[in-house]
Amino acid sequence: MMYEYVRCREEYGMIISFKDVFKMIGILIVSFCAVFVCTLFLNYYIDITSVEAAITGQMARIMYEAMRNTAKMVSALSGGCLLLTSVVLLCFYIGHYVDTHKKQLGILKALGYSRFAIAKGFAVFGLCVFAGAAAGYLGAHLLMPGFYETQNAEGYFPPFDATFHPSLFIALAVLPAVFFAMLSIFYSYYRLRVSALTLMREAAAVKVVKAKKETNMPFLTELRKSSVRQRKSLVFFITFAVFCFSSMMQMSFSMDELASVMMAVMIMSIGIVLACVTLLIATTSVMKANAKTITMLKVFGYEARECAKAVLGGYRPWAYVGFAVGTVYQFGLLKIAVEVVFAGMEGIPEYGFDVPAFFCTLVVFVLLYEGIMRFYGKKMERFSVKEIMLD
Amino acid sequence: MIKIENVHKSYGTGDSRNEVLKGVSLTVKDGDFVVILGASGSGKSTLLNVISGLEPADEGTICYDDRKVSSMNDTELTKFRKEYIGYIFQQYFLLPNLDVDKNVKMGADLAGNKEYRKTIKAVGLEEKRMKYPHELSGGEQQRVSVARALAKKPKVLYLDEPTGALDEQTGRQVLDYICTLKRELGFTMVMVTHNQNIAQMADTVIRMNSGRIVETYHNTKQKTAYEIAW
Ligand SMILES: Nc1ncnc2c1ncn2[C@@H]1O[C@H](COP(=O)(O)OP(=O)(O)O)[C@@H](O)[C@H]1O
Ligand SMILES: [Mg+2]
Repeated sequence: MMYEYVRCREEYGMIISFKDVFKMIGILIVSFCAVFVCTLFLNYYIDITSVEAAITGQMARIMYEAMRNTAKMVSALSGGCLLLTSVVLLCFYIGHYVDTHKKQLGILKALGYSRFAIAKGFAVFGLCVFAGAAAGYLGAHLLMPGFYETQNAEGYFPPFDATFHPSLFIALAVLPAVFFAMLSIFYSYYRLRVSALTLMREAAAVKVVKAKKETNMPFLTELRKSSVRQRKSLVFFITFAVFCFSSMMQMSFSMDELASVMMAVMIMSIGIVLACVTLLIATTSVMKANAKTITMLKVFGYEARECAKAVLGGYRPWAYVGFAVGTVYQFGLLKIAVEVVFAGMEGIPEYGFDVPAFFCTLVVFVLLYEGIMRFYGKKMERFSVKEIMLD
Repeated sequence: MIKIENVHKSYGTGDSRNEVLKGVSLTVKDGDFVVILGASGSGKSTLLNVISGLEPADEGTICYDDRKVSSMNDTELTKFRKEYIGYIFQQYFLLPNLDVDKNVKMGADLAGNKEYRKTIKAVGLEEKRMKYPHELSGGEQQRVSVARALAKKPKVLYLDEPTGALDEQTGRQVLDYICTLKRELGFTMVMVTHNQNIAQMADTVIRMNSGRIVETYHNTKQKTAYEIAW
């Protein structure tokens, strides 16, 4: 208790340590992607609008409108999608942080620090968003000259240079950082509403989601079901990650035909990054929560591979659901988008479901998903008995 | 029969190297009840972990009948533990997210034991079958861990300070359940403890001191858990 007290006093200056912020690498990557894409397309949107007067010719006008619409759509689509992801991720992190630090937070409250004084410390999470956003902004500007050239490969428009728009930097990097800092403060303030004593008591209590009715299945099946039951929020995460992957990958294949290769590559990389980051975060969290259980199973003679399958296997059906929903979503979205973007243009082929793209994405998904699961299976083999006995 | 010859084990390297087992040799007959006594830090737990195949020895041989445990790899060791070994630890180590029934089933499934509920009954926990570990007292949790280890039908049961976290009354009760089940099932049992009195229940008593066996003797008459002093 004395030790905890001293540590809390020391930590008070910075309730959230650098290490905690580092763990938010997921949010960093997501905000990087979001700002990168939005900067690229919005900057282009503003710049091309500024040369509007110089664009004459009928075909050039049509291309001009199409380019503007694509830019708007892509930034709204990926920006919105990624913004939502970061909000969810951030709340997950803060919730997780409060859950795992209930004791320290309880002691701080008991010492007389106000709810707001503690919540204030959570603002550093906004820094993380700012770092990712600023990097994304910078990255977009580095890539811009090349991007502008490919967009005007056919030479419909007079050449124009990428200009720096401070307002865009404020809107895409500064404001989101402020927004996320505020969100962190409000959310943690909300989570800290209970009394110091409750926090400490909850820290000591075991949180178990019980089975609703008695079942009689093999032990590993029971373990699989229980593992999903304990962490339902992860069902959402994993489904969402695969949803992003499935829709973005398939969309990028179609983009190749409908828009530019550049956009296809971009959407594809965002899909892969987003899915991998979310999937890795979710899986790591499952593994951490089950480390002791898995070690005990190993002690008794269960194989590491069986353990991994049991603990992680319950999420597999959800991953495939995510894949299916993603497929339907991207098909619907593109169908609508094609009608909007190319409205009034002639010679645009009817957009139909892309079967090869679907199978290609499916194969990549299966390889990626099973690869990650195998990786964790291997990791479990290295759990040692001593580790759990010592704490 | 378990044959252990000249087992060495150390932790760390260089200056911080700490030799915990300094050449331990010992033979355990089938069905024997061995108690290992010794002060804290004398290497009892390490010996238990090494001879039960949880940790590799640096040197020496460990044989169960004709199976040489000391030269098995990790996969072989896991399979060996599955077939031979049951464990009971001082801290219970139950699976927190599963109820008593499923915790015991964890052991039972490894041996294809469909009648594991009899074992739950044998440790007097029939009524608490649907409870979760955090809803049980220390003594009850340890009885679940006894049922879990025995539902696995081990040939050898290893116990590391099984009563270390229990008070006298629950401690005696747990030991009594274990001994009753031993008489019934006839497994070999190796128990580590620093409670001298428990040694009177054993067939063979081994005393360790800083990594060596310093004394071995056999009891002619074994006392029950309720006859010994605590
Ligand atoms: N994993 C480990 N790393 C380093 N030292 C260890 C480790 N495990 C045990 N030791 C050391 O080995 C010695 C014996 O430990 P242990 O076998 O647990 O003793 P006992 O069970 O008799 O109390 C102690 O000095 C302990 O510090
Ligand atoms: Mg010990």
